[in-house]
Amino acid sequence: MNKKNFLEKLEKNLKGLPKEEIKDVLFDFEEHFTIGMQENRTEEELSSSLGDPKVLAKQLKAASYIKIAEESASAGNIVRAVFTSIGLSFFNLIFILPPFIAVIALIASLFACSITITAAGVTGFVSSIFYPAFSNYLTFTVNPATGIFAFLGITALGVLFFIGNIYLSKAIYKVIVRYLKFNLQIIKGRRNQNDL
Amino acid sequence: MNIQFKKGVLELCVLSLLTKQNRYGYELVNEISKNIEISEGTIYPLLRRLKNEDYVTTYLEESKEGAPRKYYKLTESGKKINDSLKKDWEEFVEKVNHLLEGGDTNE
Repeated sequence: MNKKNFLEKLEKNLKGLPKEEIKDVLFDFEEHFTIGMQENRTEEELSSSLGDPKVLAKQLKAASYIKIAEESASAGNIVRAVFTSIGLSFFNLIFILPPFIAVIALIASLFACSITITAAGVTGFVSSIFYPAFSNYLTFTVNPATGIFAFLGITALGVLFFIGNIYLSKAIYKVIVRYLKFNLQIIKGRRNQNDL
Repeated sequence: MNIQFKKGVLELCVLSLLTKQNRYGYELVNEISKNIEISEGTIYPLLRRLKNEDYVTTYLEESKEGAPRKYYKLTESGKKINDSLKKDWEEFVEKVNHLLEGGDTNE
């Protein structure tokens, strides 16, 4: 592969990254070729010792997406970082995807619980207030006044639970980012050994 | 600590090369691949990561040959990380050597 092919292949596989960053990466590799050729190495020699541009592009992309996910927390960013990391090796299909899905399912169910508790509290509270008007149709086993306060308490509990879940999600988000970074380093190390 | 040495060894090599002087990418790749067999391209993603983590900064400098080169310079936090990785590495090597020399066991 000559320099042109190498850079084109790299650029093609970097698609999706910010334009500035792609330019920056290509600049680095172009510089590598320029200096190498000044030292009388051929384009073919240089590109073969650099390695597969596809693999390099994957590593660069994963690193970049993880960085974006770290800087601006959003569901889209973390999902992109996770899936790019999974693309790095078959290994990651096992070591990232299942734990990620499990964690998402856990968070989703915790949120569902907190919403259900809040809804139950609000419903109970409202029906306790209107109880006197419908006392012919509804039967409460507890005093409506007790009910009002009990349901108020349940509502508050649900809301607190919900807020707690938000904090928990933020903490888990950070853990996922750290895990991805750690994973990227390990995969890189492994790859170097395999490429000898 | 041992895991840290594994993942950090390339990182340590790059950081340590930069403690002596500022270098450009090709030079770093060259120095490392002289001693360790790697697919050379992987140094560049590593350098970008080090820059993202603010362990290094970059600047352009004209070269005698013409085109300006991108130089990498260690930051204060880069120096700190280098020191701690180096310490981990030395401790690890010492322990392994101790084992290899059949040093005292707990048996």
